[in-house]
Order: sequence, then C-alpha cells, then structure tokens
Amino acid sequence: MFIPSYVDRMTRPFQWHLPNARTAGVLLCVLSLLLLAGCASTPRISSPERLGIPQQASIADVPFFGQRDYQCGPAALAMVLNDSGVEIDVDALIPQLFLPNRQGSVQPEMLATVRRQGRVPFVLDNDIESLLETLAADQPVVVMQNLSLPIAPLWHYAVATGYDLDQEMIRLHTGFKPNQDMALSTFNATWARSDRWAMVALPPGEIPPGISAQAALSAISNAERVQGAVELQPSWEALVERWPGLAMGWFGLGNARYASDDRAGAANAFRFATLHDPELAAAWLNLGLTLHGLGEEQEARTALEQAAALPGKWQETAETKLAALFPKEAP
Amino acid sequence: MMKKLARVISPLLIAFLVLGSLPAVASVPATQANDLVSTQDALSASQVASDRERINELLAREDVQQQLLLQGVQPADVKARVAALSDEEVSQMANQLDEMPAGASVVGALFAVFVILLVTDILGLTNVYPFVR
Repeated sequence: MFIPSYVDRMTRPFQWHLPNARTAGVLLCVLSLLLLAGCASTPRISSPERLGIPQQASIADVPFFGQRDYQCGPAALAMVLNDSGVEIDVDALIPQLFLPNRQGSVQPEMLATVRRQGRVPFVLDNDIESLLETLAADQPVVVMQNLSLPIAPLWHYAVATGYDLDQEMIRLHTGFKPNQDMALSTFNATWARSDRWAMVALPPGEIPPGISAQAALSAISNAERVQGAVELQPSWEALVERWPGLAMGWFGLGNARYASDDRAGAANAFRFATLHDPELAAAWLNLGLTLHGLGEEQEARTALEQAAALPGKWQETAETKLAALFPKEAP
Repeated sequence: MMKKLARVISPLLIAFLVLGSLPAVASVPATQANDLVSTQDALSASQVASDRERINELLAREDVQQQLLLQGVQPADVKARVAALSDEEVSQMANQLDEMPAGASVVGALFAVFVILLVTDILGLTNVYPFVR
C-alpha cells in the first residue's frame, strides 16, 4: 500500500484526502451494518434469578387457530380466550373487531372484544421482562409485531406460549403455525416496532405478574364498565390483595361489594380507602352514604363531613348529601 | 306566508328535536341505583370538569361509530363495539384511527421493498418471508 510521506500530506491536503475518503466510506458501511445488526441483538434480561423466572417455560395445550387472510387479530384472540375457558371460534369474533376496509384489527378493539367475552384484558408493561414473567405464570400473551420495516409495515398479532433463555428463543402461535420457535433477537426487533405491545385475557380474579398497579386498576375499571361490578368483584379482591396500599383499589372493591349487596363489606373497603388516602373525597362520600344505609348515623355523619371539607369535584355533592341526611337544627 | 311560517317553525322544530334527543344522551353513563360515586367517575375525577368531559366523551363515541361504518363494519355491530371501549380508547380511536396499526399480516409487495426486506430478514431484523431462517 502506498504511504505518502508526512510532509507530502501536510503540504498537499487535497490529494491526501482522496484515498482516505474511500476507506471512510467502507468504514461507514461496516459501521451502519453493525449498528443495524446491533438493533437485532438479543434483548438484555435483567437476571432471570432476580425476576424469579425459570430459564425455560412452555405453556402446554394453548389452543391454536390458524388465521385466514387478514384475520390474525381474531385468530390470536380466539387462542387466548379459549385458553382462559371461553369457547368461541374465529368466525364469531370477526364481526366484533375486524375492520373490512383496513383489512385488519386495531389494538383498542382487541381489548374491547375481550371485555365483551367476559374476560379482563390487561396490557402488560412494555418490556421483555414483563412478557417472560407472564409466560412463566402460565398465561399466554398476545403480542403485536411489525414483521417488516416501518417503511412498509406488516402488522401482525401472534400469541406467545413459551420461551427458552438458554437457546435465546421465544415460542409463538403465529400465522398458520402453532409453537414456532423464533430467535429472541428477531422477535425483539419486530416487537419493538409496536412499542412492545402485549396483552393477556384473564378471567375475573386473576392479574398478570408483569403489570403496574395503575395499569391493573384501569384495566379492571374499564372491564367493569362493560361487564358490571358484580362480575368484577373477584378482580377487585385480587387487586387489593396484591397492592394493599392502593386506595383506589379499596374504593373499587367497596363499590363492587355494594353492588352485590354486601353493605358491611363495602363500608369496610371504603374505610380502608380513606385510611390509605385520607384525601380521597369520593371514598369518604361513599363511606358516609353506605354507613347511613346501615343505620350507623354517627360515623356516617363524620364521613360526610370529611367529604364536604375536601375541595374538588365531590365537595358540592357531599355538602348537599350532608344537608339532606343530617339537617341542621334551627339555632 | 309559507316562508314566514317556516321561519317560525323551523327553529322550534330544531329545538324540540335537540331537546328530545337529550334525555337519551344524558342517560348513557350508567349511574348506580344508589347515589354512590362509581369507580369510573372517581378515576376520571382527577382530570377535567365532569360535565364537559362527559359531553366530549359522548361526541367522541358518536364519531367512532361513524368511523367504523366508514371502515365497512356492519351497522348492526357498530354500537356494541363502541360500547365495549374505554373512554381513553374511544378518544384514541376518534383522533387517530387512520394512523393506528391494524394487525393484518400481508405486506404490500413492491420489488425494492422485497429486496430490502429479504436482506433485513437475513439479518434477523424482520420476519416477513417464512423461507428465510
């Protein structure tokens, strides 16, 4: 290889640049390839031991439904719903979530359809650990992938049924094939394009491990809106068992118990809600009204006074109730 | 004469129709038989003033129903589909249904794209073609 003298380079900077430009170009290519390959690297999983998950997990007998045409959404839902005990086939699900002109299904309607089938949809936290934890807990997970690149997206729903950290593989019911092993690196690259969207459909009373308290709370509340408080009472019980300090969890449980005519139990739950968050005016208000119904006037009055003293959305209602139930004697 | 009559009657007609449709609208959020605050109301309480929020919410649900019809959903299915959505999901769909990814798993086949995807498949960045392992 020709090596120009140092002096030459200093005096003729222009010519000195030319051969280097080529090297730089090649370097750039190699670097960008490496960078691309870097994106597809196996995701780092913060020690499985700490998460308490095994090196391998495989959920046996998750029902498989092959998709036809564009029906990967309905097919994926049919698999998790049947696994959770709802007997339904793809054809019955299509009119509930398929968008004919888009030839596909969108995420909100995936969740809505699960609610209509009497199951609670939970969107997991967007990371690989949550996914693996949930699989290790024997709950199959619907994942959304973009199998292609953002320039020509190929959105796809599949159902994860297991993983193997030694082999760096994830197992999926996908497209026309059950239990396909896919390299964890490829899966991670395709899954990251949907912001790592993952969902489970569970019967009331179950909560997946890979989820935050707030996400679980709104999932249960949204399902309750469709299915009713009585149906969802086991979910509220499970929520406060897992996060005993969550005031809104106790509040939801109170309403569910009230709806199933357990007034004393409801009052207890509202009491816990006010204990964990004394600023929760709605809980004081509901506590007061429930206690009034139970004939415990003294405590009812105190609770309503607490509600009326807290500024916010419920203050006016609380004042009205207080005045109506406990009219002030004329001085 | 007819014009004058129409000018008097049509605002009245509009007003009556609007009023007539209001009770149906107002009764949509299911209130409990008692006066307890529902969990859903309490959760949304931390946000904006309730009445305005509720009206926007109802309009958004109407909007999504229309959009689903435009997407070719059978009219008989539309109402139940929208009813199962949460408030947050409704506003997402009202604002950005067109940009939302719809899981479908069929790629628009352009040759240039085919080649790029073949390479990325081999690199393990994508998984479009089953024959690439």
